[in-house]
Amino acid sequence: MSRSTILVGENLKKNYNGLQVVKGVSLAMEAGEFVSLVGKSGCGKTTLLSILSGLERPTEGKVTLNGKESTGASEDELALFRRENVGFIFQSFNLIPTLCAWENVALPLFPVKMAKGQMRKRATELLEMMEMGRRLNHLPSALSGGEKQRVAIARALVNRPKVIFADEPTGNLDSGTGEAIMDILSRLNREENVAIMMVTHDPEVAKKAERVIRMHDGEVLS
Amino acid sequence: MDLRYLLKELYYQRRRTLASIFGLSIGIALLIILNALSMAYREAARSPLKEIGADITVQRAGDVPEELTGAVFPCSAVTIRKEEVDKVQAIAGVQGVGRGLLLWVFDPDRATIALGIETENPIGPAILRSSITEGRFLEDGKPEALVEVAFARQFGIRVGDTLPLAGRKFPVVGIVDASRAAKIAVANVYLPLREMQEVAVSSRQLQSVSPFDPEDVNLLFVKAEQERIRDVATSLREIMGKKGQVATPDSFLKLLGSLFALSEKFTMAASLIAILVAALVAFKTMAGNVAERAREIGVLKAVGWAHRNVVAQLMAESVTQSIVAGILGLLIALAAAMGLRFMQVSIPIPWEMSPTPHFLPGGGDQIFKTLQLPVYIPRSLAAFAMLLSIVIGGMTGGLLGRHISRIKPSEVLRHE
Repeated sequence: MSRSTILVGENLKKNYNGLQVVKGVSLAMEAGEFVSLVGKSGCGKTTLLSILSGLERPTEGKVTLNGKESTGASEDELALFRRENVGFIFQSFNLIPTLCAWENVALPLFPVKMAKGQMRKRATELLEMMEMGRRLNHLPSALSGGEKQRVAIARALVNRPKVIFADEPTGNLDSGTGEAIMDILSRLNREENVAIMMVTHDPEVAKKAERVIRMHDGEVLS
Repeated sequence: MDLRYLLKELYYQRRRTLASIFGLSIGIALLIILNALSMAYREAARSPLKEIGADITVQRAGDVPEELTGAVFPCSAVTIRKEEVDKVQAIAGVQGVGRGLLLWVFDPDRATIALGIETENPIGPAILRSSITEGRFLEDGKPEALVEVAFARQFGIRVGDTLPLAGRKFPVVGIVDASRAAKIAVANVYLPLREMQEVAVSSRQLQSVSPFDPEDVNLLFVKAEQERIRDVATSLREIMGKKGQVATPDSFLKLLGSLFALSEKFTMAASLIAILVAALVAFKTMAGNVAERAREIGVLKAVGWAHRNVVAQLMAESVTQSIVAGILGLLIALAAAMGLRFMQVSIPIPWEMSPTPHFLPGGGDQIFKTLQLPVYIPRSLAAFAMLLSIVIGGMTGGLLGRHISRIKPSEVLRHE
């Protein structure tokens, strides 16, 4: 079955103080595709992920996600764009320490006009999907690394994104927990048909993706 | 703005929350209490005049009589002409005028301080009506006398006796305890004004120092609109000329010698410093809090919070803290005000306002009006302080929120 293109990056460049970190990268991603972006530390993969997800603007080039070009948008338009189209999973989880698990999951919905009951219901469903139903009211400080990452994955899914961007999602986890997290991401990709772009420097983790994009010195090799 | 997030943030970061609440509340409490103290001193300064039913007293200094025989003017209070009294009554802002005539009467057997009063005028010494301990108060048009209790005790004077004074005789109709009432224009004997004026007119000694007509007086008690007291005092000084002595609540305020009493500017400056320090403490604590939350703000923005959402959340947090700080500051100020109410102030009454011959017992003693400091917090001051606290919280939250929400999520979320 042919899949539509969900994400396109064209001739993307990024300079920091005269240093070119991303050097004219062009790539495309299909809906429901699982892509891993690999390369050595400092090769520009996190910067490329930030540009593609709308966290950062390219110095040159164009990003189109779900048919909408994000590169010319204002900060607030970008925030809205991210809320409607994108989910994030970070290496260090980035949960809000004062909010419990379900509130962290519902965090992207706080600015949305939605009843608190509905927010909680949606967050609870996702946490149950992550086998975290018993940890709904626990603060991040009471959760293990793997549990925190499950909460982060649930948060990435709460707004029904088209693409999830994961930056070293297993980087802070032991191998067993990392394996379990990768299984969850694979399942989500398969069962929920969510496209996933994952940055990793671990070849074993990268193998879980359908396609591997290699970067070196700001350029895509394959 | 999400209330649950707000409350949890304040609760779980309670050390920081309490620091900013306490910092701001101390400033708010200082602002309230400094102003309440200033108002209390002002109120206290009004009391010597207030208890005599007036806001201003007017006298004119004159010469010391060559001979102390018969009825004479005290050197601090000589003739105020009827025309001058009429002019005083016509000053804009004057609500009423009480007249009095204070004389020293040197009879062969004793010296008496005698005050002629308007028996039916509530402005002035007729306020003694409530301090009668025996007999009755003076009746208008009758040549009769009231005697001060200490003087009566000293000379064995009783109600029903006849009091000789300046060659005339007055039946004593009552004994009055003047120490319960005003400290201004205190006398040994009180007569109806008309009787006292006749005594003055017929005194050659008095007329030689300062000519006196039957309608003249030497003391005026002026009731004025509160907000126009200073203007009225200026007009009075113009009417009374160089030797005029015009006493207002401000005159007593200067005598109190407290920094709060001396200057409204001091109170304002001290309040301003208190609130600036409080605002800086609040700003610094909240700024530290916000700076530490840069990563959290980055997460909020990454997951789709717009600039205004972040600013609104931070502003709501700081406004909530400032409301609590305002209430706490108000409670601290109320407790302090209750404590300060036990403080006593002694207001010195200038000799000129209650002149007593120095050679008489107690004649040179300083008279004080002693009262408990009337410290209270008016609703308007409490409301202003609360509002100020909220404005400080709002501005702090708004400024910090605007600053921190410009953060780029990609900059703070890069993994280690």
